[in-house]
Amino acid sequence: MFLPLPANQLKAPIFQTDQRKVLELPTFRPEALRDPTVVGKALQFPKSENDILLAYGVPKSLVIEFRLLPKPYTVVRDVTLTILDQVSVARTKSSKNNRAVLSMSISYKLPIPILTKVSAGPAGCGKSVLLLQAVEHFVAKKWIVLYIPRALTLVNSSSHYIYDPRTRTYLQPDFSYELLRRFQQINKAALEKLKTTKAFVSDTAPVRVGAPLTRLIDVGIENKSLAPVALSALFEELSQQTEHPVLLAVDDFQALYRHTTLYRDPLFHGIKPYHMSLPRLLLEYASGKKVFQRGAVLGALSTAHTIFQLPLELREALGIPYDRPSGPYVRRKPEMVEYAKGLKNIPVPAQMQIDEAASLYEVWGQSHWLRTAPNDEGFLATYTQAAGNPREFVWKGLLQSYAL
Amino acid sequence: MFNLLRLHARPATSALQTARRCYATAFVPPASLTEGMTSPLPVKPKVKPDSPTFYTARAGYFDGLTALEDAITDTRRALTALQLLPLPQSVRKALPPLQPVWHTKDTLAGHLSAIVTTSKYRRYIRVLDQLNEYRQIAEIAGVVELAENLADIITSFERENKEAVLAHGKKKPVQFDEYGRSYTLGRRKESTARVWVIPVKTPEAAVSQSALQTESPGELSHFIPQPLTIPTKILPVTTTNIIVNNAPFIEYFPQLTDRERAILPLKIAGLLGAYNVFAIVRGGGTTGQSGALSLGIAKGLAAHVPEVAAILAKAKLLRRDPRMVERKKTGLAKSHKAGVHLRLPRFTLDNEGKTKAGLEYENKPNDSRE
Repeated sequence: MFLPLPANQLKAPIFQTDQRKVLELPTFRPEALRDPTVVGKALQFPKSENDILLAYGVPKSLVIEFRLLPKPYTVVRDVTLTILDQVSVARTKSSKNNRAVLSMSISYKLPIPILTKVSAGPAGCGKSVLLLQAVEHFVAKKWIVLYIPRALTLVNSSSHYIYDPRTRTYLQPDFSYELLRRFQQINKAALEKLKTTKAFVSDTAPVRVGAPLTRLIDVGIENKSLAPVALSALFEELSQQTEHPVLLAVDDFQALYRHTTLYRDPLFHGIKPYHMSLPRLLLEYASGKKVFQRGAVLGALSTAHTIFQLPLELREALGIPYDRPSGPYVRRKPEMVEYAKGLKNIPVPAQMQIDEAASLYEVWGQSHWLRTAPNDEGFLATYTQAAGNPREFVWKGLLQSYAL
Repeated sequence: MFNLLRLHARPATSALQTARRCYATAFVPPASLTEGMTSPLPVKPKVKPDSPTFYTARAGYFDGLTALEDAITDTRRALTALQLLPLPQSVRKALPPLQPVWHTKDTLAGHLSAIVTTSKYRRYIRVLDQLNEYRQIAEIAGVVELAENLADIITSFERENKEAVLAHGKKKPVQFDEYGRSYTLGRRKESTARVWVIPVKTPEAAVSQSALQTESPGELSHFIPQPLTIPTKILPVTTTNIIVNNAPFIEYFPQLTDRERAILPLKIAGLLGAYNVFAIVRGGGTTGQSGALSLGIAKGLAAHVPEVAAILAKAKLLRRDPRMVERKKTGLAKSHKAGVHLRLPRFTLDNEGKTKAGLEYENKPNDSRE
């Protein structure tokens, strides 16, 4: 994994140059986003003691990108404002009708509609980045935000799991512990003000009614085996409270809808996602079976993992066409159909606008990643070659290409 | 019959009197008799031919030839009167070469309704060439009426597909349809690309709002010279969209090298963002298809903007890459790959079928070197 050398270790004379100046850009704050001319401009994510990128982490596709750049920059797109406006509606409304998923836009108009060719869809069109922007925005707006950047790790058998006969589900103590820890780090101020409405019954660490929610989280943090139960209790409390709107943001959203996870039960059958406690919790909030009194659920699909592809039930719920057989004779899992009901689709355009691409070009150019001096012809050639796709533009066009 | 007439005309005489016949009346040939006599046979009225060429048996040919020669005479007289003839040699050399496409001998024969032999045909063509030359002189000199009259005569002797004949062997110019789209073909290895290059509609340039805003003049504005604000035009940047086989460009060509190869003509011509491309590619693999697409795009751009043809040709983008997969040869595993180089043992058998070592062999060993 690439890790850049810190600047203070660059002692050789070749590195002692005053050209190493870091690009200073406006901060990605709600105030900056009010200006309509911000569309197409590059901003930098704020670095504070409660840094979301450090606390929650970022999706794998963005890790190296943020390491290559001197600072985590992001370009505001017109879709950004659309998403933020749509989610902001849920500030005073329950999450029952505010559940949306960012997906690829298949609605590009092709000249011959009869021969519609649909495959995985435009990968790299910026869904994860837009979700991250939404998370940053609503944290700054003092929402309670729970962000899971890699939901894949919930279902790919990478963390410890244990069967709980009480709930008859499989618990994931380690994951729950990490989630509680990070959640508390970001939302500490709001959680201290909120009080529990139900007693948390436990032999070792009971929590009385009226205690701050941070106390509930501390129970889970101090005792990993209680973390899943504490997390469930926390979710229940958050769904009842009305002081702060809650945003549940999940990347790799389609991983939760796979028919089986990679976990195995004692008979070596694949465990269903709704039989795992944390995926079940997420599915219930995503489907509207459990609601936040004020808040929204926002997910983002990912095309990176071939084992966790977009399943038919979720595709149908979001209205994304399928190139494989999807007629009435193809079996759909009724549970997944139920959990996918009512999800809205927010299509992310496959092509960036030209000024968004120009800002991206400037950011990478001024971070000294271009092979030649930045010029219009190179920019337009890169844009044309990438057909406006952000990932192709940066990773293939700017970093991989040798074309002058 | 005439004997009968004679019998009626005069009485019979004796044999002595037949030596010198005396007629009571003058002898009238029967054809001239008009009284009460009808001609025994219907006599065809002899029609006088219009032209004396009737008796040549190639009337159409000679009539036409005569008419053309008369035309030459008249034209020569007219041009001489206008002092255009005799034309100085230097001027004659400076005239652009004529490229007439006359009818073939058989067609001419059909038109003239006469038998036309080769020598007659050549004579006819010589006359037409002369007339064409005079037409050119009249046209260049500006004698419009004369030139038009001559052109009327000449065009009736030229073939209808004159342009096609003259353009034979030359590259056909690319045709544009009613929407201004060009259709070109590109090929590489086993791939073919049918490419439509369409100009992008440029939206109108917007004027920047900040430049339009004028500050309200203050009290002392007439003392302080205000800078002139020229509203800056924000030129909209158009982008090139490429669709291949009804799929987006990045989806059809996932490899970066294929995509860069395909858009290289646009990049070198400096026309990125000016044209959209729609293509149907068939055959071959990714490299062949992207190369074929590149050639099709280059040809389309050269058709839309002829000025860039030179630079595309210099970059060898207008050249159909002739490299194809080399054939396999007999005796080799592939086009160049030979088989395993074996050193087979050489030994001969004596009359009894045994080797030097006394070994017997039923069949002679297979030695390809013998």
